[in-house]
Amino acid sequence: MLLLEFILVIFLIFSAVMAIHFEEELISIIFLSIFSLILTALYLLHKAADVALAEAVIGAGLNTAIFMSAISQIRHGDSD
Amino acid sequence: MTGLLKKILIIVVLLFTTLALYLNFILMPEYQGLKTGVSNYIIQSALRDTGSLNLITAVLYDYRAFDSLGESTVIFGAVSGIVLILSRKMLPVSSKGLSFIVKRTLGIITPFIGLFGLYVISHGHLSPGGGFQGGVILAAISIIFSIVYGSAFDYRRYSPQKKTILETGGALTFLTIGLAGLFFEGAFLHNLNFLTAEPGTLLSAGSIPYINIGVGFKVGAGLAIIFYSMIQKTFEEDY
Repeated sequence: MLLLEFILVIFLIFSAVMAIHFEEELISIIFLSIFSLILTALYLLHKAADVALAEAVIGAGLNTAIFMSAISQIRHGDSD
Repeated sequence: MTGLLKKILIIVVLLFTTLALYLNFILMPEYQGLKTGVSNYIIQSALRDTGSLNLITAVLYDYRAFDSLGESTVIFGAVSGIVLILSRKMLPVSSKGLSFIVKRTLGIITPFIGLFGLYVISHGHLSPGGGFQGGVILAAISIIFSIVYGSAFDYRRYSPQKKTILETGGALTFLTIGLAGLFFEGAFLHNLNFLTAEPGTLLSAGSIPYINIGVGFKVGAGLAIIFYSMIQKTFEEDY
């Protein structure tokens, strides 16, 4: 249990660093989504099922969609 | 000359604000140390007090239901602001959407996603979840529709006007149950004790399931409106 938590925390920090490392916004959003997914697993490991459900739905699902639509609007503005 | 007058006026207003804040903070009682034991009290007696098996929902919609009302008001304010800034009266011209296989597969899966969302909402007092989480799952259906079928499909099926009606209906459900608590039990948003049944059944826990349903539809419709008004401008030039 402790080993799994250790691995998950390592991956959490890795994905957070990767999300701010890349210049391309799309890759950052994908890493942010992975971050939320790992955070969901960690919440579930700590037996916080309510928070895990909210994090999975909002962090991994809704945030990604809204960021994607925001990015496509930014690109539209650039091409003009 | 007027610039100097303006500066003096601003300085006077700031001074009076500082004085008012200082007088307010002087009235605050001193810090008395953190009182522990609230979580122990909730774990021991929340089931007896509310009849809800999920203690988090019991806290959210019974002990601090007024806070939840404030939170849903925040969402309402966010939706109103975004719609005011971003939405325009235009016929949504959509992209064509994804391929035939994706569309058919989604057509099969969508009812199950909706059923799962409704389950999370209606079993909020029995299992993990609640109005907020289930509402976001329902909003995700609308988002998937916009991506896979093109944005005009979702507009034709469930127009923003219908979603606004759903959102307002959810908020009114919440407020009506709060007023019913004031009327029957003597406190705003008090749990309706005559609705309690045996803990563990679907229609138990007083007014908590009904508040869950109201919050769920409110959050789902609100987030769908936010996403829709964000993509509306994107796809208009794609055609």
